[in-house]
Amino acid sequence: MSIFEYNGSALVAMVGKNCFAIASDRRLGVQLQTIATDFQKIYKIHHKLFIGLSGLATDAQTLYQRLVFRHKLYELREERDMKPETFASLVSALLYEKRFGPYFCQPVIAGLGDEDKPFICTMDSIGAKELAKDFVVAGTASESLYGACEAMFKPDMESEELFETISQALLSSVDRDCLSGWGGHVYVVTPTEVTERILKGRMD
Amino acid sequence: MMKIDFSGLDASVPLCGNTDELCNEISTEQKFELPTAADFDGFQREAVQMVKPAKGTTTLAFIFKEGVMVAADSRASMGGYISSQTVKKIIEINPYMLGTMAGGAADCQFWHRNLGVKCRLHELANKRRISVTGASKLLANILYSYRGMGLSVGTMIAGWDETGPGLYYVDSEGGRLKGTRFSVGSGSPYAYGILDSGYRFDMSVEEGAELARRAIYHATFRDGASGGVATVYHVGPNGWKKLSGDDVGELHYLYYPVEPASVEQEMTEVSGL
Amino acid sequence: MESVFGLVGKDFAIVVADSSAVHSILVHKTNEDKIMLLDSHKLMGASGETGDRAQFTEYIQKNVALYQFRNGIPLTTAAAANFTRGELATALRKNPYMVNIILAGYDKDIGPSVYFIDYIASLHKVDKAAFGYGSYFALSMMDRHYRKDMTVEEAVDLVDKIIMEIRSRLVVAPPNFVIKIVDKDGAREYGLA
Repeated sequence: MSIFEYNGSALVAMVGKNCFAIASDRRLGVQLQTIATDFQKIYKIHHKLFIGLSGLATDAQTLYQRLVFRHKLYELREERDMKPETFASLVSALLYEKRFGPYFCQPVIAGLGDEDKPFICTMDSIGAKELAKDFVVAGTASESLYGACEAMFKPDMESEELFETISQALLSSVDRDCLSGWGGHVYVVTPTEVTERILKGRMD
Repeated sequence: MMKIDFSGLDASVPLCGNTDELCNEISTEQKFELPTAADFDGFQREAVQMVKPAKGTTTLAFIFKEGVMVAADSRASMGGYISSQTVKKIIEINPYMLGTMAGGAADCQFWHRNLGVKCRLHELANKRRISVTGASKLLANILYSYRGMGLSVGTMIAGWDETGPGLYYVDSEGGRLKGTRFSVGSGSPYAYGILDSGYRFDMSVEEGAELARRAIYHATFRDGASGGVATVYHVGPNGWKKLSGDDVGELHYLYYPVEPASVEQEMTEVSGL
Repeated sequence: MESVFGLVGKDFAIVVADSSAVHSILVHKTNEDKIMLLDSHKLMGASGETGDRAQFTEYIQKNVALYQFRNGIPLTTAAAANFTRGELATALRKNPYMVNIILAGYDKDIGPSVYFIDYIASLHKVDKAAFGYGSYFALSMMDRHYRKDMTVEEAVDLVDKIIMEIRSRLVVAPPNFVIKIVDKDGAREYGLA
């Protein structure tokens, strides 16, 4: 089994009209054994920037701590929040730093940039950026997520419809994956507010 | 082509001579062609990988005052992918006997069906139903004859015969164990935890069914490869009866209702930020 | 075979570990204490390779003590857990320690807590945790019988049930277990005053 599938995860981000949503499952497992069903995979960098880390949980935690550290330094020096594009480059740089002994993580970055333009992107474990205009997925349920998103996504959705779409895509995808699920976690971000919701899901 | 004839190992008595074509068709022992490969073991290893058995299951059965309780989940998985949530893992061999399925789906289905045929023939030849002991031995002998050839079966044969309730564990390694409480599959350790601490011989049918359902539910919660529907069967003096089939997705919230105050609440905003 | 588990109760946390020191087919001793007292209000139950376990838990214990000497205040349980994770994570890509840890502690204004830290340094705060071959039984039985407001007596009853199950279902069942408790009065072995 791949090291990326050791803990199990499902991540997805979608773009709407002047807003975005990012969602994850809640399982922490060790192979097939479920350890906890309240594990955090999406982290807030600032009010309009979120990162989801799929893959090996330990590397996700390490990477998150290093990213927060670097972002705090940036904030102190520049006295402003980082733009999503800049943050993506930072993540990429931190990942490539470990080119020959990588963090076994696939990140998903979602944020609102200049003039509240939504930005989403994903990366492989050594920092190759992949930008998208519609949606990005990662984790052990990524194949199912591609299918669900491809079928359910529509451009320019309002925040409520976007929430419904991303939630349905996530829940139906993790129901086809042994290693992710056990509930969901969704953030919907508009220029004015951030809504965080916990989803009830199948617990098997 | 080489052919191996296992008819000598067949435990059932042939019904009649080979003059009747129809009868001949039924009673002839099934034969499987073997591959004419130079490296049989290597070929077999590769072939087994190709039809990779659907692993990941929780099945259990136990004998108690009122008979035998049999329960199973319904998930089939290939690696991390869930290929089905609606697999029938409890196989109805005849109205008095059930078999459970763990390991290779095709192997289990085929050999349980095959066992059903043999049991019926036994019934016709001897004018009485086969005992659970006899049936499980029949299956164990067949599986033993294919030992090392890649069959993957982990089953429990549960039923009611002239001696009362019967329960046997049979596997493709050739093992056959008589017992009163078994659990098979990747979720079995979890199920055993619930089963052993909740079991009493003098349970009622309702209590027994609830224990079985609970054990399956807890196994599906912790084991990624188990899930779907928790099916419970009971075998009593008048044969088996399906008692329930509960979607564990709903069972979880039945056992652990979401408290309004907790963060687990459905679609609630946790913070506005 | 090795089993460590723990849970959080009403106003205490409990950690249980088997006490067998095993090497291939031999059982060297059956009274090995695998739950270290990190400080007055912290317990560290560890399973894994004998050497790594002894070295690593002692290293953490001494560093937690050093912090307290230098700063005059003890680390919170959360801080100790994160420190432990950091050390494990750093070691992971050099020469990894093969130790799985259940860290339990009691903080004055936070109350009792249990942290799950596995050998690859995944950290998570939990109500109930288990490692080793006994984890299968321990987890499902804790799922079944656990309540957030359990008393010490109820928790010990549950622990006893789990120990009995491990002893009856595991191939090489450890004969003895150590039970330790941490609450507002500090960390101690259960049964000893």
